[in-house]
Amino acid sequence: MLRFSLFVAAGVLSIASSAYASSLIATSDSIGASLVNTVDASSDATSSIGDDKVVLDARDDAASFVGSEGSIRGAHLEAALTHIRQTLPNLEATDMQLAEAILAR
Amino acid sequence: MSKIQGCIIAKLHAGLLHTTSSVCSAVLLVGLLLLSAPIQAALQLRLDQPDLNDQQRQITLQLLNNAFDSLPPLMIKQLDRQVSVSWSDNLPSAVMGRATPGGKIKLNRRWLPALVTGHSEGLAPDRQHGTLQNELKATLLHELGHLYDQGRFWPAAERQLLQRCRSSQKTQGKIGLPRQCRGQTERRFTLSDAPRLLDLAGWPEQVGQRGQRETINRQLDRSVDIYEFYSPQEFVAVNLEYFLLDPEYGCRRPALKTFFHQHFGWEPSHTTDCASALPYMNASLDANQPALGWLDPARIYQVHYLLAEPDQTWASRWGHSMLRLVICAPGRPLSPDCMLDLEHHLVLSYRAFVDDVQLSSWDGLTGVYPSRLFILPLNQVLDEYTKAEMRSLSSVPLNMTREEQIGLAIQAASQHWSYDGNYYFVSNNCAVETLKLLRSGSDHHQLRDLDSYTPTGLLQILEARGLANYAPLINRDEALRQGYYFASYRNRYEQMFAVVRANLNVPQKSIDDWLALSADQRQAWLPQANQRAAAALLLLEQAALRQYIHVIQHDLKKRYLADDGTNDGLSEAGRLMQELITDSSFLSRPADLLSDGYGIPQAAERDLLESSARQRHGSLLTTADQLDNRLRAMLSVKQQQELDGTQHNIELLSGHLRQLHREAGGLVLP
Repeated sequence: MLRFSLFVAAGVLSIASSAYASSLIATSDSIGASLVNTVDASSDATSSIGDDKVVLDARDDAASFVGSEGSIRGAHLEAALTHIRQTLPNLEATDMQLAEAILAR
Repeated sequence: MSKIQGCIIAKLHAGLLHTTSSVCSAVLLVGLLLLSAPIQAALQLRLDQPDLNDQQRQITLQLLNNAFDSLPPLMIKQLDRQVSVSWSDNLPSAVMGRATPGGKIKLNRRWLPALVTGHSEGLAPDRQHGTLQNELKATLLHELGHLYDQGRFWPAAERQLLQRCRSSQKTQGKIGLPRQCRGQTERRFTLSDAPRLLDLAGWPEQVGQRGQRETINRQLDRSVDIYEFYSPQEFVAVNLEYFLLDPEYGCRRPALKTFFHQHFGWEPSHTTDCASALPYMNASLDANQPALGWLDPARIYQVHYLLAEPDQTWASRWGHSMLRLVICAPGRPLSPDCMLDLEHHLVLSYRAFVDDVQLSSWDGLTGVYPSRLFILPLNQVLDEYTKAEMRSLSSVPLNMTREEQIGLAIQAASQHWSYDGNYYFVSNNCAVETLKLLRSGSDHHQLRDLDSYTPTGLLQILEARGLANYAPLINRDEALRQGYYFASYRNRYEQMFAVVRANLNVPQKSIDDWLALSADQRQAWLPQANQRAAAALLLLEQAALRQYIHVIQHDLKKRYLADDGTNDGLSEAGRLMQELITDSSFLSRPADLLSDGYGIPQAAERDLLESSARQRHGSLLTTADQLDNRLRAMLSVKQQQELDGTQHNIELLSGHLRQLHREAGGLVLP
């Protein structure tokens, strides 16, 4: 569930304050989390490397990579690619193929 | 070292200095008996009291012996005098003992009978040394600590430095003073006015005042004995007690223990091995992460200066400075690979803890808000800045030795458990606090005379002095890829809109126009998207969701502030929000969780800490859920539809992307 109140609390504070004195209440990864949850709910519930946190954390970067045809390449995607290749050394796939696979999780 | 058991041996000592007529003299000395060099100067404790009976004398001598045996050899050697100790009827009842201006030590005689019978009844409950015997022993060590501190017993190298500094102050004045002389020109005490001691004890330098110290100590939480804040002299005396008597002192106050250890070239033989990981409160308020985290300094690969770029709002026009601990995943050796273990990295961020729903700029300037050290997961900080505030972050490696990195982590933990400062936007802002933490933690010589009021200014000075290494950030693409630079999502969203526009021929000309459409209107375009456009749309729907929540926040805030208290729903939401903010205080002031113990919590406190943190965290999340439901109930039908619509679009796009991937025969992660 999207934790709405946190946004509101953070928002009320941060509208006035911005980050120099940023509020305590997190605007943490709620959107990312809700996205992941949505995906989890409708995909096969078997254990997969795609469930690893480092891969889930890379979804935004993977979407940006695919959307920009590889020109936006963030650290979270880099971390996920490295993790997948280290875990599956025999897997032969390009960065784009892996990014698409992360996005299609 | 001798152990005086009775009159016979005592007389040997007494005979060295005092001629007495009886075997059991009224004057008894406790001191060093060096068989090879009996005349060598050293501290001697003299029991100076004729009116004691044998048993009282015996037990008092034992006490003196016991205290004497706890002293560092260097202190015994340097403090080469007889110190007279006696029981006095003239001390206030709350005072255990004190040193006279003449250097004699008086113990409160009201405790003598109890010492003889071995009972500790009547001891104030806030006493931490346990037994009466230990309290009296600590009192002796405390008073001897004062005498030692007053004796100006600087080691040779330090003495030379102080001389050099005094003469260069005379010739060059304060402005041309060499870096290592800051705070050293007017030293009067062995320990209690040493810059390093003052840094660790919580009397940091005021910014821009050439070494002038703050007069108020703000490291008040989890104090070992509140008396230590009376003055730096009392701080040294109190801490010496615990350094000498408490086996856990080195685990609870590691940096101070190291300071005393280095000064004396010695440590007590009974020190406990400390757990490697340091406890901290994870301030992210995330239900999926435990509230209590453990930071293992041995896993730190690098420390970075983390700078959030300035933006146009008044409170952030200088940027925000933080420190990033690049922590390796468990099992990974310290190596550049750790740079990508992003989920393990932590951010140390001083922030004003704002306990009101509106931040008043006036209160910020006058220091009403407590300044606290928040410890946050890097990923949360990245989300907050790059996605919510659309600001970029630079992560600049600091050239620090292993020892300096570990020192910084330990000092951060110490601050986290003890510090509750005041946040002044100008004179005690995040840059000032970050610099103080860097200085006290690393003890890096380049930081000693460094002053800066602003986050960007501090980074420039760190770079000019060779402490910050900007090189990995010069190639921007590489920096983005390796996690040295985290760009604001603003550009990313604009690029994504350009992709959508080119692929779907949408009539909107700017991202703002696109986001101004309703969720339903945007939804009409989704099924036609190819993989690339769908990926771009997914990001844009996230942006839409964030932006729409922002709009709702504004609306609710306006309604809340305009309400005269007649709307029960709004009043209840306001009450819950205030409760949430107040109750979250412990995340940045974890000392609230434990009533006993001092310094960094240790094994014995661990279970209580875990359960207390879990319970407070759980109730905070419950309040957050209640507030969430309350606020949702106040949304208009249109707002609710728009929110649901955008979330639905995100689900549609996820499904659409999976379908396209399947149809194209894309790689499936095993």
